[in-house]
Amino acid sequence: MVAPEGFRLYSAAIGGKGAIKLFASAPKPLVLAAIAVIGCAVPLRSIAVATGGDVDLVAVGLLDWITVTFILAGAVAWLRRPESRLGPLMLAGGFASGLSALQLTHVDSLYTVGAVFDILPAALFLHVSLAFPDGRLRSRLERALVAAAYTAAIGLQLVKTSFGAFGTRSLIEVSAQPEVVRVAQHVQLLSLSALCLAGVAVLGTRRGLGGRQRRRSLALLIDSFALGLVMIAVLFTVGTFDGPAFLEIQRATLVVIGISPIVFLLGLLDARLGRSAVGELILELRRDPAPADLRDALAEALRDPSLAFAYWLPDFETYVDSDGRPLELPDEDGRTATLIDRNGGHVGALIHDCALDEEPELLEAVGAAAGMSVENGRLQAELRAQVEELRGSRARVIDAGNNERQRLERNLHDGAQQRLIALSLELSLLEQTLGDQPVARARLDEAGLEIARALEELRAVARGIHPAVLTGHGLEVALESLTARAPLPVSLTVDIEERLPERVEVAAYYVVSESLTNVAKHAHAREASVALTQTPAGLVVEIVDDGVGGADTEDGTGIRGLADRVEALGGRLRVWTPHGNGTRVKAEIPCG
Amino acid sequence: MRVAIAEDSVLLREGLARLLDEAGFDVVAKCEDADDLLLKVRSYAPDVAIVDIRLPPTHNDEGLRAALEIRANHPEVAVLVLSQYVEGGLALKLLADSAEGVGYLLKDRISDVDEFVAALRRVAAGGSALDPIIVSTLVSRQRPGDPLAQLTPREREVLELMASGSSNQGIAGKLVITVRAVEKYVSSIFGKLGLPSTGGESRRVLAVLTFLRS
Repeated sequence: MVAPEGFRLYSAAIGGKGAIKLFASAPKPLVLAAIAVIGCAVPLRSIAVATGGDVDLVAVGLLDWITVTFILAGAVAWLRRPESRLGPLMLAGGFASGLSALQLTHVDSLYTVGAVFDILPAALFLHVSLAFPDGRLRSRLERALVAAAYTAAIGLQLVKTSFGAFGTRSLIEVSAQPEVVRVAQHVQLLSLSALCLAGVAVLGTRRGLGGRQRRRSLALLIDSFALGLVMIAVLFTVGTFDGPAFLEIQRATLVVIGISPIVFLLGLLDARLGRSAVGELILELRRDPAPADLRDALAEALRDPSLAFAYWLPDFETYVDSDGRPLELPDEDGRTATLIDRNGGHVGALIHDCALDEEPELLEAVGAAAGMSVENGRLQAELRAQVEELRGSRARVIDAGNNERQRLERNLHDGAQQRLIALSLELSLLEQTLGDQPVARARLDEAGLEIARALEELRAVARGIHPAVLTGHGLEVALESLTARAPLPVSLTVDIEERLPERVEVAAYYVVSESLTNVAKHAHAREASVALTQTPAGLVVEIVDDGVGGADTEDGTGIRGLADRVEALGGRLRVWTPHGNGTRVKAEIPCG
Repeated sequence: MRVAIAEDSVLLREGLARLLDEAGFDVVAKCEDADDLLLKVRSYAPDVAIVDIRLPPTHNDEGLRAALEIRANHPEVAVLVLSQYVEGGLALKLLADSAEGVGYLLKDRISDVDEFVAALRRVAAGGSALDPIIVSTLVSRQRPGDPLAQLTPREREVLELMASGSSNQGIAGKLVITVRAVEKYVSSIFGKLGLPSTGGESRRVLAVLTFLRS
């Protein structure tokens, strides 16, 4: 007999897809517990059977090892993910192994069933390996591999059993034809070996996946599946050709196959531990980490080093990475995205290993925890953009005002002022031609004086509209006469190397002008000082008086308007005005 | 006396030329901008150039720069700047090195033909002229522990006239006192303000202005 005794340990099978669908919706924990208990009772019974006869105890123990691990893992998987077919599939694997004990009974009918399903667990293992993680076969190739494996494991087994492979106790034996059995056996075992190796290749591509680092527990599980498949292939090949050390290889194979469910359970445990990492994540997020640190914290919590995240920008209807570069959510094998919503709005997405779909609770928890930070980050970015926009428009408004005032002043200068001067020149030339007409000369004199007064007023108006001397000759000259005209002693220090941007000069001029007006009106100061200093950050303007302080900075003093002007240029204006201790106005205006 | 004029307003340029012509000056060049003025100063060698401080193309500091360039490269040509600005700082930029043959007047002054012509002649002859409004702004400027407070009203008047470039004779004529009396006031003022007595009237202007500005 080519198939050695130990092979019957694989025998028996339960369930097909139909049975699985029957339970697929929502297994009650109690039902599952019952299934698990029954499943685990099988080994007890098989041990009881074995101790009654002369059976290899080691082989029985190894069988029971597989049965128990697969049934437990299957029950847990089914409980956690009722919609996944993996749980039922693993349960099936466990029962298939457990029912192999049927071959040990003295009842011929049960023995026959055991013999027919002897090889099935190998096909089931291939099925489980390829169907992980959601219990579904993804490609046509995978479905073909599994279908072929079932055909070989059951179809050819029927042929073998019918033609005497299991002796006369088999109820379905038609006739004893050793040659047919031998050929069927070779075809069956070799094809299964090949199918298992093909399965290993499929797993290999799945593990590699573009060279990205997979999650640790997932990689480990895929490795254990692959190792099991390799062992089965080796075992069947050795069995076909009567190779050496068959018994040892068989035992090793059984041990390895039983390891996969253990790895699976460890992965689940790892996931449960992972959820406790969410707590740490929340603590980390409280510190409001920078986007790069946020990513690292999320990757840590999800144990997925390949994790990336994307901000959703509704205005642009696109996702961007933390550097603001647009990106597409992945549509490739092994990568998937979990959308993060917050307060009914979409804020971003986590891009991660699709194996994380197995842990929806963890994903949900991490997504919810990160939602706040991602939204904060996004809002901050949006806010920054809006502030920038606002500052720009405020600066443009002020620039427009400046330009308009400049234009008005120019018109006044080139127009009315020049004409009045020309007029008064004309009058004085006329006066000279009058000779001795004292009355007329006196009246012309009077007219000339009127024009002179008008010119003086016009000059003051023009300067009020725009200090043209500032544009023409810079801050120092403009401020010098400004401070000279002040009704109190004002010392002026100007430490500026070069001409500054016009808007900066104009703002500084108005800060000094308005502040000195306030000092004159309200401060009752004995003296004041004005200091302008150029720093790497920009221009610092400081006006200090020794007056009564307590200036009203909100109303009537024009401080608010000055602050607007300075802030529009990205600077800031501060006022210290304690009662009885003078007032200090300090403006910092960037020159960039 | 040969005069060059740089003024971008046709109205004023022509009015000024007519005024000077009638006052017996020889207007050798009428320019619209600074470049033209510099060219004509080189070509016609005027005795004095009258420069509007705001000249095309930008109307910023072209006029002042042209005036400074003439002072630097053609010291024999006197310069009178006409301005709308009452900024003393601008006048002092012009007078920085020497007050000889330089003047800074508000444009309005041209309507007082006699005064204007006198100032122009003074400047052309190597003296100086500073607009009375600028001088009075400088003099009335508030100073801590004001040293000008020790001056008598008369001395203040003399100080202002000195600062605006008047000679002792000119001051005497305006205040209707003797030149001798003016000299007494001047030495008293210099003593009270602690200024070193300097020789020429032009240097005196600079000393007084520097004092007033500080």
